[in-house]
Amino acid sequence: MKALENLAAFFAVYGGKWESWSGEMWRALIVTLEITGGAFALGLVIGLIVAVGRLSTSRLLSNLSLAYVEITRGVPALAILFLIYFGLVPLGVIIDAVPAAIIGLGLSAGGYIAEIFRAGIEATHKGQREAGLAVGMTGGAIYRYVIIPQATRIALPPLLNTLISVLKDSSLASLISAPDIMLRAKDISSTEFLPLHILVLAGFMYFLLALPLSFAVRILEARMRRGLGARLT
Amino acid sequence: MEAKGGGGIDNIPYYLGILLQGAGITVTITLGALAIAVVLGLVLAAFKVSRIPFARGFVDIYVEIFRDIPPLTSLFIIYFGLTYIGIRLDPIPAAIVGLGLNGSAYCAEIFRSGFAALHHGQREAAAAIGMTPGMAMRHVVLPQALRITLPPLGNYGIGLLKDTAVASAVAAPEILYRARNLATETFETPLIYLLVAVLYFCLTFPLARLVDRLERKRRSWS
Repeated sequence: MKALENLAAFFAVYGGKWESWSGEMWRALIVTLEITGGAFALGLVIGLIVAVGRLSTSRLLSNLSLAYVEITRGVPALAILFLIYFGLVPLGVIIDAVPAAIIGLGLSAGGYIAEIFRAGIEATHKGQREAGLAVGMTGGAIYRYVIIPQATRIALPPLLNTLISVLKDSSLASLISAPDIMLRAKDISSTEFLPLHILVLAGFMYFLLALPLSFAVRILEARMRRGLGARLT
Repeated sequence: MEAKGGGGIDNIPYYLGILLQGAGITVTITLGALAIAVVLGLVLAAFKVSRIPFARGFVDIYVEIFRDIPPLTSLFIIYFGLTYIGIRLDPIPAAIVGLGLNGSAYCAEIFRSGFAALHHGQREAAAAIGMTPGMAMRHVVLPQALRITLPPLGNYGIGLLKDTAVASAVAAPEILYRARNLATETFETPLIYLLVAVLYFCLTFPLARLVDRLERKRRSWS
């Protein structure tokens, strides 16, 4: 009973703080969404370019693309953010926190997305490409009508997983002072001495943002398993 | 060794020395969090395949929460948030616990799918030749499940090593924290952060190669 009362008292604090917190956290949420959306979009573009480079017949292009993937997968996103935000200042390149976060997280996500695209394209059996050639399709038409539609289906669940990762990584932007959920939460916690409350609220916000994506991944994965099973029998 | 006045390339050994001390802390946090994540993950996976509906539901919720919350948030909750209820952890233990809890959700999923990937006929076959469930677990299920889970566990370990960079935000003296201090002292930020990137890459790349090899080996078995 005592524990329940304590818990009720803990959550009662939110009632009193709602008015002052909701406006600030709402603005912070928008910044988090901007960073996530921008970084993911940039990541998709980079990912597509790098994936095509990886599969190209040019030795140089495929090796450069491989190097890009290995580097972005081996270096923490936070280190990339610091390199872009703090590291370029002495060279005269000064970027605001939000664009710097979008660029840094986009560069980092690009490596993962490239591997997802590559795996999707390679997963379509090469017999399909040959069949396309046999019925007289051009290389472009084969990509457009045979490979891309199937590759997209395969790539969609891992892409959504990457989107969840980008959303979570967007919290790193607070460490280069982009005014996102985590930075606001940190500010409020140091002025109002309610660190647990505001940080739990921040966690809950990320949870609510990621939950629908996470469900979508699960539904798509289940559907794909069924689809593959149907094809096998 | 002292930083030389000239700056630039000459200071690389000095910077590297300091960053390497940070690398020791980075590895400590990684191993500590990995231990918590693996042990807790095994327990959670065991709950998940158990027959108690309550335990299964609990694991589902736990995994979902930690999959959806950034490591930085759980780290801040543990380091700053828990002071509200009188729990004060040092930076390094806080980072180990925070990242470990976060990772336990991933490990639970890895172990669960590892066990699920084994055909149930294997367990039945073991029972048919008179093995007890314990023997079946030890001689049939675990050796195979371990082979299946090793590559994803390795990938998780690489991700974890990179995630330890967030510990710099609670002043754990790991690579990135020392880099920030060096950068504010010397203003040689491009060089220092470039060294940081190279250092992380040198730590993760051999691991990534190892995981690749394990994966290829596994594919050739199946």
